[in-house]
Amino acid sequence: MTVTHERFEQGMTYAAYKEQMTRNRARLEENERTVELVASDLAFFHALPEALKVVVITEDWCGDAIANLPVLARLAEASGKLELRIFLRDQNLDLMDQYLKEGKYRSVPTIVFFSADLRQLGVWIERPAKITAQQSAELETLLSTAPELQGIDPNTSPALLPEAARNRVMRFYTEFQARTRVDANAEVVREVRALVEAGLARQEASHGA
Amino acid sequence: MELDAGRPPVKVRIVYCASCGYEPYTLDLAGALMRAFRYDIAAIEIIPWQDGAFDVAVNDDLVHSMYRDGGFPEHATVIDAVRAKLAA
Repeated sequence: MTVTHERFEQGMTYAAYKEQMTRNRARLEENERTVELVASDLAFFHALPEALKVVVITEDWCGDAIANLPVLARLAEASGKLELRIFLRDQNLDLMDQYLKEGKYRSVPTIVFFSADLRQLGVWIERPAKITAQQSAELETLLSTAPELQGIDPNTSPALLPEAARNRVMRFYTEFQARTRVDANAEVVREVRALVEAGLARQEASHGA
Repeated sequence: MELDAGRPPVKVRIVYCASCGYEPYTLDLAGALMRAFRYDIAAIEIIPWQDGAFDVAVNDDLVHSMYRDGGFPEHATVIDAVRAKLAA
């Protein structure tokens, strides 16, 4: 898995990406305003000896990208240690296909962290794992307790759910997202930091070996 | 075209992730169904959803699920499923 300096520079800056967005820019910018960075996380990135290069593969129609890319952008702006280059997935399949989720899904956003000399440190995909797990667990509880959802297989497509059940699940999604938004933003930073820390440690170990 | 009063009604339900920008795909599919069937389809139900869904059911049969099948369905796949129901 490699990205050359030339290929990296072909990506858009975050500002250029926003300029060419055809939808969801207002939501993206609203999400930027809600990001609260923790001082210790910011200090970690700020203390990096050199700026990391970050490839972001995304599309402006993706809800996870609209929610999570602003967190990365704010972290980049505040720390000055993340150099972002944004690539639109469908126009950059050569990049996308190097980072398929579970080896088969072209998921966005896919965010790849590199050292300054473009050695890969880690890959972050879609949304925080903790929030995904929390949502699944809460949904499972809801399915076993809500009267509208009794007897319904948790894997049922929303297209086959009875209307009352569908409405109940949608209400859950809406409420969950509102309730966990701050946590989710914090979790993005926490996961990204852990990824970078682990990648740098691996690099350090390989240098010492 | 004459309506066939004896024909069982066929309904199509399209569930799309409204936070994912799937509206164009949804409307394209709905338009393709309207053009293909005119009066011969009882209803096309369009339901906004979340979580990256793009699922299509014809009556009670799940014709496409983005989670199960990946991506978006070919229009022909959904149209063929409706034709099969109409012919049943």
